[in-house]
Amino acid sequence: MMNRRIFGRLMQAGALVLAGGLGLAGAAAADTVKVGIIGPFSGPFALQGKNFQAGVEAWLAQNGKSVAGHDVEIVYRDLPAANPQQARALAQELIVRDKVQYLGGVYFTPDAMAITPLLKQGNVPLVIFNAATSAIMTSSPLVVRTSFTTAQTTTPLGKAVVDRGVRKFVTAVTDYGPGVDAEIAFKKAVEAAGGQVVETIRMPLNTTEFSPIMQRIRDAGAQGVFAFLPSGPPTLGFVKSFNDTGLKQGGVKLFATGDLTQESDLPALGEAASGMITGFHYAVSHDSDANRRFVAAAEKAIGGPGQLSFPAVGAYDGMYVIAKMIAATGGKQDAEKAVEAVKGLAWESPRGPVRIDPETRHITQTIYLREVAKDDKGHWINKEIQSFPEQADPGLAK
Amino acid sequence: MAQASAPMAAATPARDLGRDLAGLALILAAGLAGYWLFPDNLSFLTRLISVALLVLSLDLIVGYCGIASLGQAALYGAGAYAAGIACLNGVTEPFLLILIGAAAGAVTGLLMGTVMLRAHGLPQLVLSIAIVQLLHEAANKAAWLTGGSDGLAGMVPAPLFGLFEFDLWGRAAYLFGLGLLVAVFVALKLLVRSPFGMVCRGLKEDPLRVSALGISAFPVLLRMFVISGAVAGMGGALGAISTQVVGLDSVSFELSANALVMLVLGGLGNLYGALIGTVVFMAVEHVVAAIDPFHWMTLVGALLIAIVLFAPRGLSGTLDEAARILARRPRRAGP
Amino acid sequence: MQTALSIALDAFAYGMALFIICIGLSLTMGLMRLVNLAHGAFAMIGGYIASYAARDLGLGYGYGFGIALAVAGTVLIAVPLERLLFRRIYDRSALSQVLMTIGITFCVIGITNYVFGPTLKTIPLPADLARPIDLGFRSIAGHRLFVIASGLAVAGGLWFLIERTGFGIKLRAAVENAPMSRALGVRTELIYAASFALAVALAAFGGAVGAEFLPIEPYYALRYMVTFLVVVSVGGAGSIPGALAACLLLGAIDVTGRYLMPDFGNFFFYLAVILVVCAFPRGLMGRAP
Repeated sequence: MMNRRIFGRLMQAGALVLAGGLGLAGAAAADTVKVGIIGPFSGPFALQGKNFQAGVEAWLAQNGKSVAGHDVEIVYRDLPAANPQQARALAQELIVRDKVQYLGGVYFTPDAMAITPLLKQGNVPLVIFNAATSAIMTSSPLVVRTSFTTAQTTTPLGKAVVDRGVRKFVTAVTDYGPGVDAEIAFKKAVEAAGGQVVETIRMPLNTTEFSPIMQRIRDAGAQGVFAFLPSGPPTLGFVKSFNDTGLKQGGVKLFATGDLTQESDLPALGEAASGMITGFHYAVSHDSDANRRFVAAAEKAIGGPGQLSFPAVGAYDGMYVIAKMIAATGGKQDAEKAVEAVKGLAWESPRGPVRIDPETRHITQTIYLREVAKDDKGHWINKEIQSFPEQADPGLAK
Repeated sequence: MAQASAPMAAATPARDLGRDLAGLALILAAGLAGYWLFPDNLSFLTRLISVALLVLSLDLIVGYCGIASLGQAALYGAGAYAAGIACLNGVTEPFLLILIGAAAGAVTGLLMGTVMLRAHGLPQLVLSIAIVQLLHEAANKAAWLTGGSDGLAGMVPAPLFGLFEFDLWGRAAYLFGLGLLVAVFVALKLLVRSPFGMVCRGLKEDPLRVSALGISAFPVLLRMFVISGAVAGMGGALGAISTQVVGLDSVSFELSANALVMLVLGGLGNLYGALIGTVVFMAVEHVVAAIDPFHWMTLVGALLIAIVLFAPRGLSGTLDEAARILARRPRRAGP
Repeated sequence: MQTALSIALDAFAYGMALFIICIGLSLTMGLMRLVNLAHGAFAMIGGYIASYAARDLGLGYGYGFGIALAVAGTVLIAVPLERLLFRRIYDRSALSQVLMTIGITFCVIGITNYVFGPTLKTIPLPADLARPIDLGFRSIAGHRLFVIASGLAVAGGLWFLIERTGFGIKLRAAVENAPMSRALGVRTELIYAASFALAVALAAFGGAVGAEFLPIEPYYALRYMVTFLVVVSVGGAGSIPGALAACLLLGAIDVTGRYLMPDFGNFFFYLAVILVVCAFPRGLMGRAP
């Protein structure tokens, strides 16, 4: 008996030494609430991950590193590209070994889907900072989301552009989940408003050469193009092609969701994107005191202006939600109570007034119509020109 | 590689058996040690086993047949999706799912081998890339079947032996994976020692001489492709069962490239090399990425450069060398 | 007809951009037998230097200056790498070369991400190249015509260098039989270093002028690695006309496929690759091994 206990101790000590040697150890202090953040901090989406981090750090800088007397410790884990196996492994380790009480972040839908089955057993809520497919919310009752869905940002855009007098559209979306979501939502909204989508084009992923697509758009003879592409190099190629092939000069209007004109891409897009109209939930240039404070803190955290864009605000508001959860549970681990506490929570976010829908646990927010333009200092911004308050996710509406 | 395999082939069967048993014991011990020492990392360790199966399968065709492939994830992904789709359609028995994965991998291996064996060298490598990219594209397009880029989610495998659930702590998944790995490893050891395995190795070292013996290369290599597909498919199925989600990454070029890097890192043409490479690469990546999630890529890159410079025959080759020096045995010259 | 012509022009420009970047890789793989997966990394470095020169030093020096600086700077970075790393793997197995050059690529990506940040970088074009030019049946960005011209110039220049100059003779000799060339007094080490520098210079040039097609960002080096590798081996490593044919053929299939059936754009590309490789197992104009 004695021997076995000593043996067990030895094993434990051995494990600790090993884990420590691997740089993984970290026994929590008496009253520290750990929050695990999973995001793409390296690889092709590193910029988005950096924005997660900036949002989190901005929140901590403004509100201090403790909530209602409980110290908050953030544990970052890198998930460079969509990889559900790795996502599950990271989430499991964060829950079981690092003993985090909250999970946050998650950029891609399949990763979120891999994590949600763990939440109930782990007694951990997941606050999603980005992953934007409607279905995630129904996969577990312990998920709360502070970002947006593609349908949510596209639907008001569809209505607004028809109201602005454009009737005949072509949609050009990247051929993957979110792109297809955007196409369907836009078509539905445009047709409901009396417009017409004459052709739907789905473009292969990983393409940066778009002139044949532009040729198709020209052939279709539309007045307006709606585009959805993952942010980054494809966006730049698309917008440049739109200009180079003379479509813009020919008077065709380009509409998109805000992913295409995220602020970090605007300096590269520059003049080419001028006048582009997008629908989105957040512009870094949003005019409010809350936003100015947020931008100041987040730019400091991200290490320079020009890299800040929408994932940061999802992370910032995510931290707000997590803090409310910590306060409501008194620092104890109780996922259900925590989620219950933020249902219906309403506050002033840097993006404007927002609310967690008690039914869907998704964020209800204002969607803005924006135009790419120069501000008075000569920087390119997404200038808000119209707002659609109180937009819920149409994908989840019953 | 030639030097690595030659002394082994020349050794006596008795010594071989002893080495194999010792090696097997070592794998089991390492696996169980992982279970006791890192009870909180079992999900990661299960992923490691799943990838180890992929790398083993790659070793069969790269290390033993000399066929370069940067598309091995096609086979892995076929297994993963087949198991995932079967699971969603009511086949939830884990062993059965592994078999389904193996079958899907084998069929894909047959197709892939038929195409790839038409070329050699660099063009062959490019064929493998084209195939994995095509499958990736197909899996993306067939969203009604595979879930597309959102991933195939919602599968709930039945408990192992009707008792042990695939849950948060992942004990069942890990031990299941470890058992699978050991069984596959034993089978592959027997395979590469068999006359069939020798023919494959012969085809790699000197295709002309082997064909002079009246052996036609194509059916032999194709058979190895099918076996490799089955092993990779099992890896994919294990991944699907333990993660309960299958994503497009499981049929990606990136995964294929990573598998090749792990294999070369560990050492080719030697099943231990595949395991060592997988464990070292994934463990380093995991630990370094946890310490510095933002800049770990540079360090992993530096590691790869260092390996090429200082351990030219892969980690297993260097270990072999070290063992030889320790045992003060003169190294036998290769052919 | 007009549409066909228009698509052909787009395909031509895209193919030429690919050609400029890939031809250096084709030379290293075909002539030096070095599988240099870090080739894209050098193209990326070139793009970054050009972007830095044109954007941050001011366009006053001109687009040409930016490109010249990109080529010179990248070669300057590559020379110590060649001496320290690449030289040790010239006679190693292809897989060792793959491992080492992937390692180098990872390092370059990591360092670039750290130094320049993860955002997209553009290379501002001079007004003449940025303007759309009216060709009668359509307008095309002046830059695309510039890329086409550069591609043709590179192809011609390289062909001349390798087939018609003393350097070309020595290079081909060193490739065919290194010990014999050494015995005849050819300093193969120097020849190898020079051709490596040439390949890097071409990569940097391609990265800079092709930035409109393949935008510059840290992940560039990995993102397009497959495309480069595919193009080179479809053409047949080491063959200039082969690489040219491959770029034009694959560019045409890619662009036309995307026009006719954008939904299945990538299918066409990879199916074409499989068919071409099966029909020409040594590449379109590959040399016998």
